[in-house]
Amino acid sequence: MSNQEPLLRVEHLCQYFRAGNFVTKAVDDVSFDIRKGEVFGLVGESGCGKTTTGRSIIKLYNITSGNIYFKGVRIAAGIQSYRDELKDTKDPARIAELKAQIKAARNDQKNCDKEYAARRMEELKAEYEPKIAAAAGKEKTLLETQYKDEMRKARKTRLVTQIQMIFQDPIASLDPRMTVREIISEGLVIQGERNKKVIDEKVYEMLELVGLVREHASRYPHEFSGGQRQRIGVARSIIMNPELIIADEPVSALDVSVQAQVINLLNDLRERFGLTILFVAHDLSVVKYFSDRIGVMYYGRMVELADSDELFAHPLHPYTRSLLSAIPLPDPIYERQRRRITYNPLAEHDYSVDKPSFREVRPGHFVQCNEAEYQKILAELSSK
Amino acid sequence: MENKLHVQDLRISFRTGNGKVQAVRGIDFDLAKGETLAIVGESGSGKSVTSKAILGILAGNSIVESGEIIYDGQDLLKISEEDFHKIRGDRIAMIFQDPMSSLNPIVRIGRQLTEAMLLKGKIRQRESKRSFRTYLKNLEDMMAASASNETERARAAVSCRKFQQFERKHTELESAYNTSHEGATEALDDIGIIAFELEKNTVAKGAADRIKDIARRSRESLNKYVVDPDKYKAEVLQNASALEGNFQKKDYQAVLENLYRLREIMTEGAEKPKPNFFRMGYYLTFSDKPLPDMPLEKLNDFLLDYLEKDFMTDFVSDAQRALIYSANQCYARIRTAVQELESARSVYAAEQLDKNKCVDTWKKLGETVKGTIDPLAISKDSLVYTFSPSMRSELDKYFHGVKANVGILRRHERERRKYDAIVSRGGKPDWEVAEAAVTDLELIKTNLSHIIDRLTAHYQNVLNTADSRDYHTETIAAIDYLMQNSSGIVDKVTPRIARHRAIRLMEEVGISEPHKRFRQYPFEFSGGMRQRIVIAIALAANPDILICDEPTTALDVTIQSQILELINRLKVERHLSVIFITHDLGVVANMADRVAVMYAGKIVEYGTSEDIFYHAAHPYTWALLSSMPDLDTNEKLTAIPGTPPNMIYPPKGDAFAARNQYAMQIDFERQPPMFRISDTHYAATWLLHPDAPKVDPPKAVIDRIARMNQRREAENE
Repeated sequence: MSNQEPLLRVEHLCQYFRAGNFVTKAVDDVSFDIRKGEVFGLVGESGCGKTTTGRSIIKLYNITSGNIYFKGVRIAAGIQSYRDELKDTKDPARIAELKAQIKAARNDQKNCDKEYAARRMEELKAEYEPKIAAAAGKEKTLLETQYKDEMRKARKTRLVTQIQMIFQDPIASLDPRMTVREIISEGLVIQGERNKKVIDEKVYEMLELVGLVREHASRYPHEFSGGQRQRIGVARSIIMNPELIIADEPVSALDVSVQAQVINLLNDLRERFGLTILFVAHDLSVVKYFSDRIGVMYYGRMVELADSDELFAHPLHPYTRSLLSAIPLPDPIYERQRRRITYNPLAEHDYSVDKPSFREVRPGHFVQCNEAEYQKILAELSSK
Repeated sequence: MENKLHVQDLRISFRTGNGKVQAVRGIDFDLAKGETLAIVGESGSGKSVTSKAILGILAGNSIVESGEIIYDGQDLLKISEEDFHKIRGDRIAMIFQDPMSSLNPIVRIGRQLTEAMLLKGKIRQRESKRSFRTYLKNLEDMMAASASNETERARAAVSCRKFQQFERKHTELESAYNTSHEGATEALDDIGIIAFELEKNTVAKGAADRIKDIARRSRESLNKYVVDPDKYKAEVLQNASALEGNFQKKDYQAVLENLYRLREIMTEGAEKPKPNFFRMGYYLTFSDKPLPDMPLEKLNDFLLDYLEKDFMTDFVSDAQRALIYSANQCYARIRTAVQELESARSVYAAEQLDKNKCVDTWKKLGETVKGTIDPLAISKDSLVYTFSPSMRSELDKYFHGVKANVGILRRHERERRKYDAIVSRGGKPDWEVAEAAVTDLELIKTNLSHIIDRLTAHYQNVLNTADSRDYHTETIAAIDYLMQNSSGIVDKVTPRIARHRAIRLMEEVGISEPHKRFRQYPFEFSGGMRQRIVIAIALAANPDILICDEPTTALDVTIQSQILELINRLKVERHLSVIFITHDLGVVANMADRVAVMYAGKIVEYGTSEDIFYHAAHPYTWALLSSMPDLDTNEKLTAIPGTPPNMIYPPKGDAFAARNQYAMQIDFERQPPMFRISDTHYAATWLLHPDAPKVDPPKAVIDRIARMNQRREAENE
């Protein structure tokens, strides 16, 4: 599985927010791959940039620097890092190179969807034109209308629509003035689907898929309970046939019993459609249960990344350890003895001389550390 | 353990457009002092409604159908809104679920923290004044009444007046000291910050104002017992006024020097031990001589001697005599009250209660019971206080029921006749005659006799323990009570004091840079920080009971465990009783001493946290336990199928039956009673009936318990 081309590749992603003279580094140099068909969990405390990472991937923000590749296509590129370098360099060759890179990044950022649409249209053209030429009479007109319809849809195709998002708050993320049918089908309509029958069929199919019934299509969101609303959110995202779903804390706002329902639903869908899921959450038990690999974030940086079993069995970064020690368990006697490990980055690391970087300490297990810590971890691992 | 809160048979409904939603359907629980009770359940199970009822903030369309919430001698369901002001936020505080919406977005954090302190300050002052006066009056009366001769009687009047006089002096001195001391500590805090900024040469905006504040506070801190004016006055004044001038001239080095000097003086002052103002107040009021000049410890001893010799020994013995006299009188009244209660039993046990007779007896009994309250007792006996209102509400229900039942029965009879007529004509009606919803008069009668039983038992207990009372300790406690209340009178909460306390509180709940944070708006805080602010607000008034309504649901793991640790720590430090409401059983294991699992408005299982987590007995608890994943869960989660029942039409039998895979026929027909499993563990499920088939908990639960045991054993080795 490891040599497979990743579905999503995030390279040195940075997302800064500027407020006056103040720059908040919400995401700072984060890199990871998501392979096809896996669930990638992203954990960390609130404000550590998990949600921002998710939103940057789906292009809700213009990223500051770094690259995001989806199916090998660069869908987002930041130029800030090039610009910074441009300011410092004097070498004319390097300047020209950087300028070219900025141009390419701008172009990709702006046109990746258009290019994808153009490619899709080319494909259609290649498919239909010989057919139309070969056909005659009634069949020809039929094919022509079909071709026209498909072309219209293809013109509106966006690569990014294959990434869909499920939002945290099932109450705020549904428009209270739209019926469930309108909410679920909105994506299809924007994509240019005009046939009401097709839309209805698709909506019903989705509703049944997520465990609701047809009659619910004409109701409004307020008539549903929290768990049902979250199901509507799931239906809305999978109607677009996405390859990647970004689930931004989909169960945090739900009751325990309903949480189990939604998690089971996501698991079923994943098996059925081979979905790839980026699962953003702060409940570690749920993440552990649901994900194949887990990335731990702390203050905008990825501090550890590993297979979920490996991460829980051998947490290496002190922050991960403190995070794991904070998980509440349904075991009163154990809970009373539990000691939470606190993480104080200033006391824990000395990065004044040697800056840390993201290093692989074991196959598939990455930790943010500097050289000294790296050696220490290696020694620790080999002694086991 | 001392019981703080007692909830009995609480039933609450809400009037809605579609009908009456029965949110809480008869729950009972106790809350002991220093204990955490967790209430667990899905949303809509009535847990929040219960907590809101305790705090008296139920929505306008609510109907309290029955029940008692007894706190400090009052039934919280029956007291007026005016009385509730004294309890809500002050004695019982609440942490709300959503830190985003429970703070006012357009008011600074500091304002929100101090708001309650300032408002409650006035009420407390008034209350203290009232209790001080009444108690002293009662004491004086009792002293006079118990006096054996004329001199003692005269002395009683004099000493009480004396007490009042020198108490005033004491509180004056103390409040002056408090103001100065707080001024000094506050100035010290500010000096620290400003000095740091000056040293680093990064002076923030508004520093001039802060310098001005420091100067003002330094002047205010001049008090005989904090910063000695005789010794330091000139220096403090000179440094304080030089501060502002030097700052304007931007001569930061000079400013720093001034600040350091002030800090030196005031640190010494702030760390000085506190003199005993109670004793000093007496000396200053009644001796003509000025205070002798000696070190503080010696002075304290000297003053104590003087007080004891001149006044206190006599006063204490007089007060003790009064206390004994009053208690004995009280016992005599209790004996008559018991007899009266016994004879009144027959009135309430009659086949048909006679309204006039009942109400007359109730009035008379109420008077007698009220008479048994010892005017010199400090703690309030709940039962004695709530007897009359409880009887009243039961009687009201009874006589209303007598009237209403006639109509209900008549309607029922008519329906029955209609049904019979159809049947006798050979028809098969597609409806059935529902049981008549009459008020159960017998039940009310048992309730009435139960109330009397409880009170007599209580009286008996009081009489039995009469000999073992320690009057000396009680006298000391009574004098302390008087002192407390009298310092409450002058304990004026000014905005500045409130600010100071708020900042201390913010430090206590773990907010860094409280001075800066104090002036910020809620949007500048993260979720965890905001929840800390909410906790600080709840603690601002130093409550007895803290209700936490899902305090960590919106927070992530690390912050959650920090907040839980914080609540646990404060609980121990301040002897709080906590009611912890949540749907997350993982959190409960950490927090709770006891757990009550609620479903559809009823408590279905009740026990210590060990009982609930290791020996759960109710299928709903099993379902909750198995629906959440833990770190070792690999198999598919068992979600609870379906949704909670519509509480407008609550199911006839066990409310959980429809979603319960272990449901039996009887679950759909009759509500299960609370079965006793052990002394601490109760559950309402028919599975515990001796005739029920033996059922094991689901595999997920058994597996987890086995895993937990294994892990614990492994760790113990």
